[in-house]
Amino acid sequence: MISAGIDLGSREVKLAVLQDDNIIRLEKWGTLSFYREFCSYQDKLNVDLVKLNLSDSDVMISTGYGRNNIDLADFTPINELKAHTYGALFQSGKRDFVLLDIGGQDIKVMKIQDGVLTDLVLNDKCAASCGRYLENMASVLEIDLEEMGKYSREPAVLNSTCAVFSESELIGRIAEGVPFPSLCAGVNHSLYKRLHPLVAGFNPNLLLVSGGVSQNKALIKFLNEDCETVEIVENAQYNGAIGAAIYGARSHEQRRD
Amino acid sequence: MNKQIGITTTVPIEVVFAAGLKPVDLNNLFIGSPDYSHYIDLAERKGFPKSLCSWIKGIYGAAIANHIEQIVGVVEGDCSNTASLGAVLESEGIKVIPFGYPHDRSKKLLGEYIRQFSQSFSVSPAQVETQRKYLNEIRAMAHEVDRLSWQEGTISGLESHIAQVSLSDFYGGEPETARDELTQLLEQAKERSPRSHQLRLGYIGVPPMTVDLYESVESMEADIVYNEIQREFTFPRCFLAHNIVEQYLDYTYPYSIHFRLDEIKKQIKERKLDALIHYTQSFCHRALDDIIIRQEAGIPVLTIEGDRSNSLDARTKLRLEAFLDMMADAGLRGVRF
Repeated sequence: MISAGIDLGSREVKLAVLQDDNIIRLEKWGTLSFYREFCSYQDKLNVDLVKLNLSDSDVMISTGYGRNNIDLADFTPINELKAHTYGALFQSGKRDFVLLDIGGQDIKVMKIQDGVLTDLVLNDKCAASCGRYLENMASVLEIDLEEMGKYSREPAVLNSTCAVFSESELIGRIAEGVPFPSLCAGVNHSLYKRLHPLVAGFNPNLLLVSGGVSQNKALIKFLNEDCETVEIVENAQYNGAIGAAIYGARSHEQRRD
Repeated sequence: MNKQIGITTTVPIEVVFAAGLKPVDLNNLFIGSPDYSHYIDLAERKGFPKSLCSWIKGIYGAAIANHIEQIVGVVEGDCSNTASLGAVLESEGIKVIPFGYPHDRSKKLLGEYIRQFSQSFSVSPAQVETQRKYLNEIRAMAHEVDRLSWQEGTISGLESHIAQVSLSDFYGGEPETARDELTQLLEQAKERSPRSHQLRLGYIGVPPMTVDLYESVESMEADIVYNEIQREFTFPRCFLAHNIVEQYLDYTYPYSIHFRLDEIKKQIKERKLDALIHYTQSFCHRALDDIIIRQEAGIPVLTIEGDRSNSLDARTKLRLEAFLDMMADAGLRGVRF
């Protein structure tokens, strides 16, 4: 049984294909490229399944931000909170945890108790605690994003709460002669400081981290100082797509039976 | 002094009626008023802190704004805030007649408290017993409302909430009005076909500030078929009691969480509940009960916190939606991990 899950993000579209609970394909595209290459509009947004190599899928689920955006012909939409929860449940095998998903423009903190989503916080209006903030600051520092993510020692203090104003503050610190590694660590630490109250509010024993920003090693190190156990979700960026696919697989089995 | 007496929680109402007085549940007076927010403002202007239960503030405002001259102040079995509220109201010239429930459910002590309470109103045990038998007849109608909501599906969670909660003071101190209202509801229910909901929920905790919870739940293909504390207000086991002391001893609200949980677990089984919604009021000690409830319930629990508003905020609606959606997945769509 083949199930496909597609997660339509604001920056990237992620696809996961499962066959009998095994991940057989993970692929992503820039959102605009995806629409241009694979989609056409006729009453609804249509996806070229042949071009995308999805013609032999038994079930197809879409998720992502915004009800209209994820309404694709041939796909059943589910809300992204569910998709992410299922992705984490499936990939971790755990039933009690807090899931921190940090994307390019939004973050979600979700509390899962006994396999059910019982609480959540979304921070989707301000990008200061998201990947975009890191991208901007890495660009100011003229350093590769992944490289910047490695620095965690002696973080410089950055106080601005706005991702844009932070750039000026960072430049100010550069002019003060703050060492480069401290600047990088400071960027990572300021992101952590904004996430911290949201996560701490849920008081997790087990914190699972997903989304692109989970690859930031410094952030994971800082989170480890607060939570007993911090784990990065496997295939972190594809967690939503995988969750959609596994939801499709399970509900399809049930219908068949 | 006029015949009205305010109550802030369930007290032996039989004694009040036997004294020829008209009890008014200040909680209902507060939450049912279009001025409910103004009542809270009155309290805050008096000096009630922001970080205090909105029910306490609302009760204060309702008592003052409606010129209540006397109240029953429960000093044990509700909460410490109520006890202090009594002191503030007394300082404003309102007469406070005390009552308490013994924390260890001692029959002897409760008997003594009810005796003293009766003496405050100069009523005899016989008079109280007459009232008890009379009021229990009307309570039985509320029990039928409850039964129809969970067993037949011809009465909604909202209707059962309103009918049961209104029995705390018998629709504002008017037992015959209570009888009429309940009769009407039961008649209407006869004409309805049973509804089956995809999810059967229990609502536990103090009655909500956010009454739109019931509509929200119904719009998500679920219904609340057990209103825990509201049901307790109707004394569902009253016909097992031989006298007023036994009746008020078998009332779960003022006693320990474990005593409450025994009944809750029974109802979870009998009503085949899928999940619980546990409502707590901000700044309330009952939020601590949540820890034990989660350990003991045996079914998923969603905890909702209310504060000042009488309607659900966007985040709570989203949580509710996500929770019910996933519960439906597990139940209907077979999506399980």
